[in-house]
Amino acid sequence: MSVVSFLQELHDSAFGTALRESLYMFPLLEGVHLIGLALSVGLIIVTDLRLIGWFLKEVPVADVLKQLRPWVLSGFLITFVTGVLLLWAEGPRIWEIPVFPLKLVLIVLAGLNALWFEYKYGRTIHVWGVQPQFPKGAKLAGWVSLTSWTAVVICGRLIPYLEATQH
Amino acid sequence: MSTESLFNELQRSSLSQSISQLDAIAGALAQLFHIAGFLLILTAILLVNLRLIGLGLSKQPIPKLAKAAKPLVIYGFLLLLLSGLFIFLPSASLYYPNPAFWLKFILLGLALVIQFTLYRKVTSLESPNRILASITAVLSLTLWFGVAFAGRAIGFLN
Repeated sequence: MSVVSFLQELHDSAFGTALRESLYMFPLLEGVHLIGLALSVGLIIVTDLRLIGWFLKEVPVADVLKQLRPWVLSGFLITFVTGVLLLWAEGPRIWEIPVFPLKLVLIVLAGLNALWFEYKYGRTIHVWGVQPQFPKGAKLAGWVSLTSWTAVVICGRLIPYLEATQH
Repeated sequence: MSTESLFNELQRSSLSQSISQLDAIAGALAQLFHIAGFLLILTAILLVNLRLIGLGLSKQPIPKLAKAAKPLVIYGFLLLLLSGLFIFLPSASLYYPNPAFWLKFILLGLALVIQFTLYRKVTSLESPNRILASITAVLSLTLWFGVAFAGRAIGFLN
């Protein structure tokens, strides 16, 4: 089954139709999706800026990562779940807009980067985190995360914008 | 002059006219700057308010964290203000009857009142009263997130 026909099935399902046609549900989901960003992407960017050395330099990097992690993860869960529901309701229309598949690719890239960082530097953070200079790779992961999440937000904001100009 | 005719005047002004004659890309860029400003300000406010409740960066002294977050709040606000004017001016008359638009600015007014009173007071203290700090954080977060939420709703009610 192709992506489009799968999205069409979701769209045509009773749940998809109910979501789309509800006066409050759709705007509510959009609003929560946006607000979840401040937790997920916003706090990820705080972590990235700490890794790069631009923000909260006096706070140990291990603290920033560890203490913000539950908030980042719950924020991510909020944006992810609301995102899936939005796609459920409006999938075929959203899929038509080229920035949407690009957004998904960027999210995967950001996710792989985070996994690589955790694998390579996560366990030794207490060692390198107290050094004046962080390993190049850790800083690079910060940059990759910062740019890919910024691009995700840009693509995301362009979806309703391009949707409105297309229809 | 009534508010409605003021809004109509604003839309007819030469500045608004020149903005609306710009390319569609300018409009898209304004939206992107608006969301960048939103992320800056809400993340900074969130970081400090989580700390006020005793969560997040809980080992960090409150005044230090608030000081580090302040430039993000200020630059975020400036970005929001400028891009917001850019979005608002060419379509002022369209926004006038929109209830979400008015709700957004009522919430923004309240958020700013809290920002310059309770928030400023509590974040200047090394160890503020826990209850007062938590009330401030909940009020501040509710109002700022409310501004964003109402802002997102504007497009749905147009």
